[in-house]
Amino acid sequence: MSQQPRILVVDDEPQIARVLRTGLKTHGYDVRVAADGISALETFNDWHPDLVVTDLAMPNLDGLELCRRLRAISPLPIIVLSVRGEEKTKVEALDAGADDYVTKPFGMDELLARVRAQLRRATATPAGEASAAVLEVGDFRVDLDARRVFVRESEVHLTPKEYDLLVHFVRHAGKVLTHRRLLGAVWGGNYTEQGEYLRVFVGQLRKKIEPNPSTPRYILTEPWVGYRFNPDS
Amino acid sequence: MAFEKSRTGYLIAGAGVATVTAALHLFSGHINAATVALALLLVVLFVATWWGARPAVAASVLGVLCFNFFFLPPFGTLTVDAWDNWIALLAFLITAVTVGQLSAHAKRRTEEADAGRREIERLYEELRDAFERASHAEALKRSEKLKSALLDAVTHDIRTPLTSIKASVSTLLEELRAKPFDGQPLTLDVETKQDMLEVIDEECDRLNRFVEGLVELARIEAGELHLRRRWGAVDEIVTASLARAGSLTRGHRVRVEMEDEIPVVQVDPRAVAEVLFTLLDNAAKYSPEGTGILVTAERDEDDEVIRIAVENEGQGIPAALRERVFDKFFRATRDGDAGDGRRPKGTGMGLAVAKGIVEAHGGRIWIEDGKEGAGTRVVFTLPVGDADEMPERLAEVASGAAVSGEMNRP
Repeated sequence: MSQQPRILVVDDEPQIARVLRTGLKTHGYDVRVAADGISALETFNDWHPDLVVTDLAMPNLDGLELCRRLRAISPLPIIVLSVRGEEKTKVEALDAGADDYVTKPFGMDELLARVRAQLRRATATPAGEASAAVLEVGDFRVDLDARRVFVRESEVHLTPKEYDLLVHFVRHAGKVLTHRRLLGAVWGGNYTEQGEYLRVFVGQLRKKIEPNPSTPRYILTEPWVGYRFNPDS
Repeated sequence: MAFEKSRTGYLIAGAGVATVTAALHLFSGHINAATVALALLLVVLFVATWWGARPAVAASVLGVLCFNFFFLPPFGTLTVDAWDNWIALLAFLITAVTVGQLSAHAKRRTEEADAGRREIERLYEELRDAFERASHAEALKRSEKLKSALLDAVTHDIRTPLTSIKASVSTLLEELRAKPFDGQPLTLDVETKQDMLEVIDEECDRLNRFVEGLVELARIEAGELHLRRRWGAVDEIVTASLARAGSLTRGHRVRVEMEDEIPVVQVDPRAVAEVLFTLLDNAAKYSPEGTGILVTAERDEDDEVIRIAVENEGQGIPAALRERVFDKFFRATRDGDAGDGRRPKGTGMGLAVAKGIVEAHGGRIWIEDGKEGAGTRVVFTLPVGDADEMPERLAEVASGAAVSGEMNRP
């Protein structure tokens, strides 16, 4: 792998692809562009990018299906470009394995911030760490064996479900996690439609870990989509 | 109600038998027993038909009693002396009851049939109403769906250039910012800057084209397309359109075939040139570079119209979509699975506007196969104006001094 992180941009609008290519290149990324899902998969196989930025509505193979196929073969971060009105598809893409999204039209700085966060996360949590006894990200330390949680060095006491929820957040720090995914991960597949469970537990968790639960800085709400865990405050 | 009705039945039965008996009694010397029996049977039949079986039985019994009392000897008693009269009385009773039952039964059947028919009619009405409501709801739903599809198309066409512009501008701004957001100050090289600025420039034009198209379309739809008709030569319009489309058709071989004696037309030349420009633009957009585009203009003697066509050597439009491409925001390459999978380059409004303009002139526009069977040929007609109204100067031009098919093209 070269020194420059590789980003694969997938968008069928040539002008958008052109701007993203230039914008990302000037920030030191190695960029390739694909105009649809099929050629994106081909480029992915030949070039092994570190991150994929993909549009949702595309001919041949759309962004949603691309997320599914990529996720089946790789854990690499995927950022989805969506427009207002595509919320449903966006959530589906996040459910299918996308890590984050940016809504069109967006500023380059916003996209770059997401790109940096996802690349950081991807390098900070190599696959092996999942089995480690202690998870440490930002202000959080979780001792998995003892089931103890420390926030900014002081211990917080959580109920078993709150603990499960937090561990899931910590393991996927920086990622947008949909309601459905969180419910499935913590409560099991039968509860994926029970959004109110999640709201209650997130509320409780915030009371215990947030310095100011009414303006949370760790568990951020992504309106109508889900939550994003930001361990660094 | 039913009780009322049956009481009336009994009353009529009583009254009927009494009346007939009284009437017959007046002539008792002159009529025989058979006449009496038949007359009384008539009453039973009447009662059975209108008031049903039970009043008919009552009428029968009453009839037997009256028959016996007044008309069978010994008169004035309820006894009968002769055997044959007993048999006659019995026969009358049986006949009366049977006739009564049969006719009441028939009556009931008729009523049931009527009720059944009414029920079927009612169900039919209900069903029809339900269908009407459903199809109304369906139509509403479809128009809602259409509206939201249009909105989607419009927002997509606006948001896509905005995204390119916003991303470019934010990159350019970043260089100017004193405190860059990702640590190191950003320096863009000249090429990058130029690239970004070009994108902004092009995308602004695209947005503007889109908005212009929307305005034009709205005007046509509101019936506010004001044609400034004047006499003009078709070849001038063709030349002007070719010149305007020059940069778009540069990669194609453009040929023009025009009949020598094309009459002048009374049209809004600017609007017709717009139509032709749209067709040239489309012809170039949807065919590979290096292929040919053919523009023809000819007079159609039968229809008294001028027929102008633009033809390319692209992959053509399936017959099923040839009407729909004139719908606003419809793009065969995106909405009709007729493309190579790429996003269309147009706004989805060009042909809708062209159609509006052509129809405002009283012409028609349609799509057919290219002459060699491949490609797309878009044809529109313009009515030939009334030559008597033509100013003199133009009449000279029309009568032969017209510019021939040789065009100057860039």
